[in-house]
Amino acid sequence: MAIFRYVLRDTWRLLARNLGLSVLTFITAVAVFYLVGASVLFVMNTRAMIAGVESNLLVQAYVKSEEGVLQTVAEKMSAMDCVASVETITPEEALEKLKARLGNQADAVTLLGENPLPSSVQVQVKKAEFATVVARELIAMPEVDDVVYSGELAERLQKISSFVSRLSLIILVISITAASLVLFNTIRISVFARKEEIETMLLVGATPAFVAFPFVLQGVVLGVLGAFFASGILYFSYGYAINALARSLPFLSLIQNPELLLRLGIVLVGGGVTIGWICSWLAVSKFIRAATRPH
Amino acid sequence: MMEIRIAGVTKQFYPDIVALRDVYLTIPQGDFVYLVGPTGSGKTTLMRLITRELVPTKGQITVGECNLRSLGSLDLAYYRRDIGVVFQDFRLIENMTVYENVAFVQEAIGMPKSLIHDRTGEILDRLGLWRRRQLYPEQLSGGEQQRVAIARAMVNCPGILLADEPTGNLDLTTAEDIMSILLSINASGTTVLVATHNQYIVDEFRQRVVGIRRGRVIRDERKGRYEPDGDL
Repeated sequence: MAIFRYVLRDTWRLLARNLGLSVLTFITAVAVFYLVGASVLFVMNTRAMIAGVESNLLVQAYVKSEEGVLQTVAEKMSAMDCVASVETITPEEALEKLKARLGNQADAVTLLGENPLPSSVQVQVKKAEFATVVARELIAMPEVDDVVYSGELAERLQKISSFVSRLSLIILVISITAASLVLFNTIRISVFARKEEIETMLLVGATPAFVAFPFVLQGVVLGVLGAFFASGILYFSYGYAINALARSLPFLSLIQNPELLLRLGIVLVGGGVTIGWICSWLAVSKFIRAATRPH
Repeated sequence: MMEIRIAGVTKQFYPDIVALRDVYLTIPQGDFVYLVGPTGSGKTTLMRLITRELVPTKGQITVGECNLRSLGSLDLAYYRRDIGVVFQDFRLIENMTVYENVAFVQEAIGMPKSLIHDRTGEILDRLGLWRRRQLYPEQLSGGEQQRVAIARAMVNCPGILLADEPTGNLDLTTAEDIMSILLSINASGTTVLVATHNQYIVDEFRQRVVGIRRGRVIRDERKGRYEPDGDL
């Protein structure tokens, strides 16, 4: 109990004694965790938008007008893992769809005389990157006359998705490195400011863990506070941004899930604990090892 | 029993400074020993070897059953709880009051608050510092700072007290006062090692004298005297 009380009091003393540095570290931690959270949300929203577009991405195969061909092609496609759904369209159904699309001018189709529309199979892929694979598979089938799909769109979506993932990974690595360095240096400065005190403590029989714990707790407190405030700011700013975007760009499928933000906040605070702990432990243990190593 | 046994200890600092050469010394529990010798003779090195801030280049030091060379970091912490050190430059923590300077070494070993309060009060009272307890080191005289350093070294009731020049830079009256305190500590069974240049106190408060010169023990006398020719 005495040790616990000492550690808490000493942690507070450390934070208060280097108040300017503590505030600077706190602000940096807030900025970094905000950046991390924002980049995670950016990636998730981009993926949600891509998933929205992908769900509408269809590969259409026009098949020969022979008995049973339509079903054969549909069955072969359904057997593929990357296919989400398969729809068969007979020439009659295609004509009905065309009429529906033409609306008031639907009567114009009577001018065509005999129905010229072929049977077709509409394949919906699970991911945009599978569209080309499915299209190639269909072209190779002798029952298929022609294949139409948005190949360029599929490739572009794939590129955007991969770019966003890479960009966010870079942001994540840079942010975490910056936060770690700032925390590490803050603790190191605190350690050096109390160099003599620590040496005296070690000489009177304080264990290395006892000496290190207030510094570790200082790092954890700064990390947690930074992550906590960043989560709060993220919660409100994301809500505001999402509402504004939903009003001006209603067709975008953005994530509006408070539970997700809560989970993200918990992950950020957990990150704050981890980074604070590791950085401060590294900073203080290096000094203690040097101080207790006999010459 | 905390007997100090120093067997064939040589301490060489990089690259070729030999601070101690082949030193043999046994200090039984409860002894009072003056380490005398000129500046640079190896007195402080010997004390730092006992606190295990340094390890011998050759030979070994055992304190009680404890071989200092083989101590791990945790064992070292527990070993040091039985060694009180009074530094030449006091090493008081500037931003702590007298009371805090003495109390924090007890906190460092996890002592309960009530016990810390009682023991700090008792030792400050014994050393005549109770009325100064709220002052900071810079507000104290040299003698008072030295007494705080002794209080800090003594408060955990160590079996061994090492004092490096405890009367250095102090006037005669204050030096006598400090020596009386050290002798009373020794009377309660604590082994006391005092490194000193002070001829007056060695001759006035006669105890065992170990003379060191150029890293070698040149004499070891019960109730010895200061020898200006050899010890300066």
